[in-house]
Amino acid sequence: MSESEPTASKPELKAAQRWNIVWVVPILAIFIGGWMLWKNVSSKGSEVQIRFETADGITAGKTEVKCRSVTVGKVTKVELSEDLQSVEIMCTMDDGTDHLLRKGTRFWVVRPRVSAADVSGLGTLLTGVYIELDPGTGEMGPTRWKGLETPPATSRSVPGLRMTLVTEEAGSLSIGSPIYYRGFEVGRIESRKLDPERRRITYSAFIGEEYQVLVRNNTKFWNTSGIDVAAGVDGFKLRTPSFQAMVSGGISFALLEGDKPGPQALDGAVFDLHEDADAAASSTFEPTFELLLLFDQSVRGLRVSAPVEYRGIVIGRVKNISFDYATDRESHRIPVLVEVDPSVLRASGDVIPKEDEIRILADAINKGLRATIKTGSYLTGAMFVDFDYYPETETEELTYNGEYPVLPTMVSGLAQIEMKLASIMEKIDALPLDDAVTKIASAADEATTTMAESKKALAQIEGAAAAARETMENPEFKALPADVRSSLAALDKSVISMGPEGNIQGDLLRTLDELRNAIRSMESMTDTIKEKPNSLLFGKEDSGNPRPKAAPRR
Amino acid sequence: MSLPFKEVKRGAIQGLAACHTCEKVAPVQLGKCPRCGSHLHLRKTDSITRTLALVTAATLMYIPANILPIMGFRELGVLTESTIISGLIQFWEMGSYPIAIVIFTASILIPFLKIGALLWLCAAAKGKVPHSAKVLGKVYWITELLGRWSMVDIFVVAILVTMVQLGNYMTVTPLPGALAFAGVVILTMFAAMSFDPKLLWDQLEREEAIKAETEKTSDSE
Repeated sequence: MSESEPTASKPELKAAQRWNIVWVVPILAIFIGGWMLWKNVSSKGSEVQIRFETADGITAGKTEVKCRSVTVGKVTKVELSEDLQSVEIMCTMDDGTDHLLRKGTRFWVVRPRVSAADVSGLGTLLTGVYIELDPGTGEMGPTRWKGLETPPATSRSVPGLRMTLVTEEAGSLSIGSPIYYRGFEVGRIESRKLDPERRRITYSAFIGEEYQVLVRNNTKFWNTSGIDVAAGVDGFKLRTPSFQAMVSGGISFALLEGDKPGPQALDGAVFDLHEDADAAASSTFEPTFELLLLFDQSVRGLRVSAPVEYRGIVIGRVKNISFDYATDRESHRIPVLVEVDPSVLRASGDVIPKEDEIRILADAINKGLRATIKTGSYLTGAMFVDFDYYPETETEELTYNGEYPVLPTMVSGLAQIEMKLASIMEKIDALPLDDAVTKIASAADEATTTMAESKKALAQIEGAAAAARETMENPEFKALPADVRSSLAALDKSVISMGPEGNIQGDLLRTLDELRNAIRSMESMTDTIKEKPNSLLFGKEDSGNPRPKAAPRR
Repeated sequence: MSLPFKEVKRGAIQGLAACHTCEKVAPVQLGKCPRCGSHLHLRKTDSITRTLALVTAATLMYIPANILPIMGFRELGVLTESTIISGLIQFWEMGSYPIAIVIFTASILIPFLKIGALLWLCAAAKGKVPHSAKVLGKVYWITELLGRWSMVDIFVVAILVTMVQLGNYMTVTPLPGALAFAGVVILTMFAAMSFDPKLLWDQLEREEAIKAETEKTSDSE
């Protein structure tokens, strides 16, 4: 197709009608365009359909499907399911991601989630949500999936131990709650489920690969949620876990002291989740023996699982307190069923046949083994059952109440004291107290007056004593003995002088004579006065008798 | 209408050719331009074939250019890809009708018209379609004019890609569609360049000459 020349036609130019090199360009265009289209189409992997409850935040053409933050697909369509109960999300996976779509592959929507345990998906606040894909391990799966509404705590692809914990009380444990080993976080709770049939809560838990070896078949798990204040027979116990566990709950596990590590736990192992560390510790107790105790006193403070001790050694626990065990309803005694492990008391710890145990028990009862309720803690009022020998008690034989052997009981502790006090009070009551009291009252009155008087007397005595003391303390009084002595000497002298050979005697005799004379004249004078009283004034009529002269008086 | 052709003798008839480089008119026998030394041709070599080939290539590239996304808009890690059509629809739905019209004109209408016009001109040069000099002149002029504006899309992508690079917050990336679209534009430009409009006038003259001859023969008869 050469261009026609307006001048004379040149036939040789016709020969130039050859394949033009310029046609390479459209061929190249075909290749390039085709390749681009093919690449675009081939970069799209398979179509999958995921069913969610809600398409909250999912946008067709924008929301991505990611596996560990690597985009592996994109949402192409969001539509309601036919029954309007869920949404169907169509995703186009990228090329080469088909191997992710296996049986067990899980899809969930990553949204911002803030809980006490952790904060996740905050990035999606700005970027919008995305669908996370957690590849399964099964065979190449179908193209329809049911998406998870709540994200699993750990991806299935993370190696580690996955096990089940079973408990009767959920507590504050939630998905994502940590699992501690000696306070160190080694795992998480992935999901929880209530089993309506068995009325138990099942947790699936995950332990990281590096800590997997810590979980043995005889490992005990317990709840360390919140603050644990336990009031037991030992008094109060306050346990606080880490702050996170306090808020969001947590689980601890450990081997019990003295336990030998068993074989390593395998995936899917089932463990009991105990209420607390004590429950976990006592869970190893394997009672072999059940005894019925019939108490004739209040069992207030005695709870189920309270310890049963033999002279301080815990050998069992209270299993139940119920009148159901009493065959004899009339006695009103309170049946307390206890389970004990007598092998604890044996050094070997061997379990011996039950018949032998019964025989030993019967023997012990004969020797005075009795059960009593004792106060474990006066603070909390918690009681426990104590077994001990009371040889002074009456001998009793082993009896049976239904299927259970009965251990005779004794009232003890405060109850015993109460009873004794009561009997004392009764005796006091019986005494003729009224009479005695009146008598005592009058006697007391008398005594009171006597006392007052004696008090007075005493005061006087006291005064006298004081005076005496005063006198005694006088220096003159102190000099008295000397005076007395000199007086005595003088007296002695006087006495001698008064003696027959003393000069005083003569004088005395003379004096006596004169005194006699005086008395005589007095007599005559009184006679005169008697006869003639006025003689006192007028004198006596002189008789004319010479008047005798009186001897000179000294 | 055909007056200039009759009064003035055409250069080709006189054996004169205009240099493609410096536009100097020189006798074609010289082989080379006496001024700049480039080759002298009466007409562009293989003009129609080349034009057709390039137009075909442009048409082929036009398909991926419209199907594939031309631009990726990554905002906070979320990638939004848009093809020409989806962008157009988006703007239209947003109510930005002027922008939508501009995009439609520049990205869809103009390349389409250009390819169509070039094909028509080729057909006309071969005498396959009836035509008049005036109409052909207009068509050729439009083709030349449009060619300058058909790169608008590529400019938009290029400017956005260089300007919107805000790290994680917002990034614009060119996608294969842009490449295909650029291919379409470049190929149509080359096609328009390789077309020699003189062929149109040659064809017109030839047709007129044939007409005159038939008239002459009919007259003589």
